[in-house]
Amino acid sequence: MEQPQSGNGGAEAVLNLEPSSSISIAYHSLFGPHDDLILLELDEKLLPDILQQRITLRGQPDEDAVLCTGSKTYGIKFVGNSNSIFLIPPSDRTEFCENSLDCKRKDDDQQGVASVIKVAPGNMELVEVAPRLDKLKLLLSENPYTFQEDLEMEDLEVVEKGNTGLYKWDDLVEKVQASDEELRSELQALSAAEIGGYWRIVDVKYMDTILRMLLHNSVINDWSLDALNEDEVVSMLESDGYPLKLAHHCLYVYGNKVDENLGRQVWKLDERRVCVHFAREILKEGKRKMESFMKEWKQKIPEGMQASFDMLEGEVLTERLGVETWIRAFSVSSLPSSPAERFSILFRERPKWEWKDLQPYIRDLSVPGLSSEGLLLKYTRRTQPTQDAEPVFSAR
Amino acid sequence: MQIRVKCKCGEGKCPEWAVVELQGVVEAQPAFQDRLQNLEIGVLCRPSSQQVYTFKVGYHELTGSKVALKKPTLVLQKTKHTHTGDVGTDTNSSNVELQVVGIIRHRILFKTRPKPLISKPQPAVKEKASATGAVASNQTA
Repeated sequence: MEQPQSGNGGAEAVLNLEPSSSISIAYHSLFGPHDDLILLELDEKLLPDILQQRITLRGQPDEDAVLCTGSKTYGIKFVGNSNSIFLIPPSDRTEFCENSLDCKRKDDDQQGVASVIKVAPGNMELVEVAPRLDKLKLLLSENPYTFQEDLEMEDLEVVEKGNTGLYKWDDLVEKVQASDEELRSELQALSAAEIGGYWRIVDVKYMDTILRMLLHNSVINDWSLDALNEDEVVSMLESDGYPLKLAHHCLYVYGNKVDENLGRQVWKLDERRVCVHFAREILKEGKRKMESFMKEWKQKIPEGMQASFDMLEGEVLTERLGVETWIRAFSVSSLPSSPAERFSILFRERPKWEWKDLQPYIRDLSVPGLSSEGLLLKYTRRTQPTQDAEPVFSAR
Repeated sequence: MQIRVKCKCGEGKCPEWAVVELQGVVEAQPAFQDRLQNLEIGVLCRPSSQQVYTFKVGYHELTGSKVALKKPTLVLQKTKHTHTGDVGTDTNSSNVELQVVGIIRHRILFKTRPKPLISKPQPAVKEKASATGAVASNQTA
């Protein structure tokens, strides 16, 4: 066999090998471990995102990195391969050329050498995962926006506090392992507000004050809660001393936009959200007897709104103590988003659950690839005392 | 920390890399272990117009075929940059960059047991160790 040529020929020669021809495969002149070269397997449908540089890796050094597109989050795992995977780059890659002579060897593929730059030990694979959003709530709860803060400054310019617990969008992207869309969606779910460039959870006591003022103003001015004029509401709250930003935020948290009417933005208060707010207020001191709770609740909610018990799905638990029924706060929004932790807390709260009680506390769980039946199968034990009885779920 | 995956390929095609994959391990003769660079591993042949290939490594011949990967595989290169003189840069800025340098859509996969090549009776004089120092050893179960 004749001496192989020392040119670093490439992938094209191998991929386009003609019938009845052959090519020598040799170790590249720069063959080595090249740990900086990583193989990543991904779905064809993600290619456009990668090629257009819309994909990022997110995570702190002590976390497992996730890969994010604009809207989805993927776990990354390494899959080893016991086969020998010889990687052959295209011949015109300048970083693999020892000298310019090697690169000019593109045409010299006719001499028949393709060079292996690395033997890959395996590749990375993507697994669709639920975004890791619990951290967001944790971060934003470090410094809820309170009434005190308003007193401390003239307007909403937040004094730069450095890294002490205040986060802008870019900071959140760096710290939370979720795609942009999932992050925005969670900020909305948390009723967070962007104040002075920082994302803040507004302290619930403060929100309560503003809501009550809004309701008070509505009564005085005979405004319909189904057709609140944004400008009127906001300017009145402002003259009452509340920041413009928070007046808007109050409408956003407790209401829904209604189609613009003659260029004026109209809002309708959301009955459920307002009633739940007052229910939470009543129960924040502890459990109450059902009768007493319902009475106080009906008194507190705005005129014209109807409170119904099913509004409190996923917000309260009831229990019979003797002949009395008691009710206490237990909000799904305070529970962790990972299924294992969620079920653990639920079963600690109550060892046995009927489906109708359990469902509001798990319906927001999302695990890619696992249906709600699958979730139940995985994390619960289902028993059914008799044919006619309701199935009961307990810990595995 | 956020690392954007860069791709200089643009809308056009990413350069396609080739992969030759075989079960087992290719070992160089001990004398060559430390200087594999430029050493020939073997010869890849495509005997006919079909996507059938043979790979002769040392005294063995493997038979395989070119198959399309179920999912494309990207070749990424990780680089570390050192930022100079960025006063007040917060710890969040990462110095690591990831760049797409290629894509793999096919592999030439050899799954068969290596066939020993005995082309002619052994010569009386043993051939000198040639420049082709690679020998295939089948370590699969």
